This record gives sequence, structure tokens and C-alpha cells, in this order.
Amino acid sequence: MEASAVIERITALLDEGTHETSNTSMRIPTALRDAAALAVRELGVAPSATALTTAALRATLEAVVMQAVLDEHYRQHGQARPGLGDLAVAAAEIDGHPLAAEPERLRQAAAEISGRHPGASPDEVVLWAEARAFAAA
Amino acid sequence: MSRLVVLDNEAVQALRDPAHSKHRRVVSHVQVVASRKRRAEAIGIVVPTAVRVEAGWDRTSPAWVFPNRLRIADSPLDTPSANTAAAIRARTGVSVADAHVGAVMRSAPDAQITVITSDPGDMRQLAGDADVTIVTI
Repeated sequence: MEASAVIERITALLDEGTHETSNTSMRIPTALRDAAALAVRELGVAPSATALTTAALRATLEAVVMQAVLDEHYRQHGQARPGLGDLAVAAAEIDGHPLAAEPERLRQAAAEISGRHPGASPDEVVLWAEARAFAAA
Repeated sequence: MSRLVVLDNEAVQALRDPAHSKHRRVVSHVQVVASRKRRAEAIGIVVPTAVRVEAGWDRTSPAWVFPNRLRIADSPLDTPSANTAAAIRARTGVSVADAHVGAVMRSAPDAQITVITSDPGDMRQLAGDADVTIVTI
């Protein structure tokens, strides 16, 4: 199957109802199973270990689909691909971070950090810019 | 605590059209959400269904394939939302779509809300007492 067809099919499956269920014989690490059971029983993080596992699996698949769709979009529309500075500004804006009001400072921080750490995340850029601002104050 | 990113009409329009002047800006926000979801952060994007109507976003239309695939959930205009939106509209005279955005902002007291909008003044007014982050595009 082509990647776009796979994305389409996964999307359709994620959109289907959750009423139909299947038993599985998935092998997972015993410690992970026990940790999940404990989290459900003592912390109330989900109604059951199955619900916890299902929610985590759904969230992961949704993230995978989103990134695959974005990557495909960037291939088709190169100008739509945001740079690290754009992403740092967006991350600050989403969080309501005070540096969102200083996009040029964030873009400068992105330029600085990307030279030394090519895999830096937008959140790391915001943190770096905040540290620089704090040091300069 | 989870975060909910809410799109208004222009954010939706910008997301759909790669030629829109704000396309990359809105894509940046979606990319940040996708990256955070991949890190298992509790974050999602929603579109109030009245905004979808105003924007002409038909989920069955091929013209909307890119936004359709991005796991952007509908926030439906159900009975409680309609009541809140009606009260907002009666008091402020805003559009039905904006009133629905206001209802969404007020409907999730346990979530941190970020609204991506081209009309920050209206949104601030519609948020009421809700602690909402407004991102202006």
C-alpha cells in the first residue's frame, strides 16, 4: 500500500466507533502491565488497564497520522514547512508564554541553537530564549 | 492538565489553503500540537461545528482533505453549548460561529484553552471569566 493510502485507512479506522472490540494476545512486558494496573487501581488514571492502553494507543496513532499528513503536505508544498523559529513562536503562543510577544527574540534563539543542536525542539528554543533573557536582565 | 487548541474561521481558511498568507503560521501551530502529542502530552485541536459551517468545511469534500486528515475534532453545538452560545450572542451580538467559539472556551474548565483567531478583541470578550490564551494570526 502507498503511504497516503495507509494514512487514509488508519484515519478511517480511528474514526470508527469503539463498540466493536476484539480479544488480543498481545505480549507486553510484565512490569509495564503491573505498572498500568497499579496506576489504574491506586491513581485512577483510567477506568481500567485496558482503557489506559487503548487511550495511549489511540493517542500515539493519532500523532503518527498527524505527522505523516504534515510531512506529505510539506513535500507537496515546500513553502508551508515551518522553520524552527516559526515553531518556537507557535509553541510560545500556544502556551501563552511571555516571549510570544517577542517573536524576533525567539527566531534569534532558534538560529543560535539550531547551529549547535540541529535536533532542538521548539520548546527547547523557548527555554533557551528565556534563559538568555533572564541572564541579560 | 490538558490543553485544547480552538480554531476560528480564518484559522480554518488559512489551514485549508496553501496559498493563504497565514497558512504556514497556522500549520506551525498544528505542527507543535502534533509534536507534543507524539510526546504523549494531553493536547488536541478542535473546531466548533458552527465555525465549520461558516468556513464551508465539509468533511466529505475533497477540497478539505488536508484539514480532514489532521485529527482536528469537531466540538459539536449540542444542547449545553447551544444554550451558552445563545446567551453569548444575545448579550454581545456576535455571529453564531463566534458565539459557539465562546461556548467552547467556557465549556472546559479543567483544560487550558488556546484560541487561534484573527479577531482577538472579540475572543477576549467572549471568553468571559475563562482563562484563555488568545493567539492572533
